[in-house]
Amino acid sequence: MQVYLPLAEMSVDVLLVVGIGLAVGLLSGLFGVGGGFLMTPLLIFIGIPSAVAVATSANQTMGASISGLIAHWRRGNVDAKMGAVLTAAGLAGSALGVQLFVLVRSLGQLDLVVALFYVVVLGIVGSLMAAESVRALMRRRRQIRRRLHEHFWMHGLPLKMRFRQSRLYISVIPPVLIGFGIGLLSAIMGVGGGFILVPAMIYLLGMPTGVVIGTSLFQVVFVTAAVTVMQSVSTQSVDIILSLLLMAGAVAGAQFGAAMGSRLRGEETRGLLGLLVLMVALELGINLFRRPEAMFVVEPLL
Amino acid sequence: MTDETASKAAEHEAARRDRTFLVVVDDSPERAVALRYAALRAARGGGRVALLRVTEPPGQTEWAGVEEMMREERRAEAEQLLQGLAAEVNRITGTMPVLYLREGEARDELLKLLAEEKGISVLVLASSTSSEGPGPLITALTGRYNRQLRTPLVIVPGGLSEDELETVT
Repeated sequence: MQVYLPLAEMSVDVLLVVGIGLAVGLLSGLFGVGGGFLMTPLLIFIGIPSAVAVATSANQTMGASISGLIAHWRRGNVDAKMGAVLTAAGLAGSALGVQLFVLVRSLGQLDLVVALFYVVVLGIVGSLMAAESVRALMRRRRQIRRRLHEHFWMHGLPLKMRFRQSRLYISVIPPVLIGFGIGLLSAIMGVGGGFILVPAMIYLLGMPTGVVIGTSLFQVVFVTAAVTVMQSVSTQSVDIILSLLLMAGAVAGAQFGAAMGSRLRGEETRGLLGLLVLMVALELGINLFRRPEAMFVVEPLL
Repeated sequence: MTDETASKAAEHEAARRDRTFLVVVDDSPERAVALRYAALRAARGGGRVALLRVTEPPGQTEWAGVEEMMREERRAEAEQLLQGLAAEVNRITGTMPVLYLREGEARDELLKLLAEEKGISVLVLASSTSSEGPGPLITALTGRYNRQLRTPLVIVPGGLSEDELETVT
């Protein structure tokens, strides 16, 4: 069954799109990830223009993160103050990101820039994930007694602030930098950024792990919401039909994934996720060098 | 004949000294009541107290290091909590309680522990004072899961004051 996407200016198979939503939802339920970093490349692979893929994924990520945020909020696992700082910085970062997006698009290099960002970020993330699980498989349990909260030099910068729920009294500069960076990535790549934000909050900010997931979802929901609005205002590239179809698949997939996740766990599945991420990065990377089927096409610049 | 009853009585007396009151340490305000009841019973009638804390398993995350740290942090928190409560029990009974630390679902882990540790003779739970019912564990153990129970269950009303606890133990 074909449906015409008015913004992408192309027809797609409904089942294919719902299937992508289902697959990404399954993975996000299984691993507790937003899934934007798989959604955008998959959309690009089926021929959706990068601009639409990015903007629509951001919207889809927001939808997927809201229910998680509500659950964590009820259980008091959200540090609202830290979340507000990260969100404020994230909004600034995403505003800049959308402006960059518009600029690059007017230069006609958007596909290249989005692909490059993905190759670099997913390449790094995928290799780290794969390395981590290989290491864990080699020696099942390695005892590293690490102090739970260490002070870095950057915590001592000026503008100190107290984050009661995270039991932190640190400079506001590192969370602002992190939030800004994630906002930028969110706007350019259409991801929530939780897969970078969570480790950054733990290792760089020294936040207790109990509030990390909830607080990162807080930032992700607000920043992706802002990205959706800014993208649709300045680039008119949020495709609501595509988004709805993806969401329908993702909601169902996430339920299956969460049910499977409680039984299927451990290093093997995580290693598979790492491999998957690497494969997506590789495919995008190869596409950059592959000679296109039609070297020159005349079409409106999207 | 009389000898036999005497040795039986002595055996029972020994068993009485050995009996263990298990208290489940959750985050409810009633746990203090259950703990105090168990400690007072143990102090007066003989026996000891055991504490069980069940920590929630960390959810699946994409980073193994993050998951490991979550587990580690929850464990450390639970240990700290149990140490504090153990000191409290020690003040009342004069002996340190047995500490059990498990990870998983509270009800399942409790039933598993009771099946493993035959030494546990009484399970002490305090009921919630809220209008929503006595609490999830009591609801489960007096309802569907009751037939899996091989240990007497004492339900202490969560609203009992310290003086009231003194008189009933």
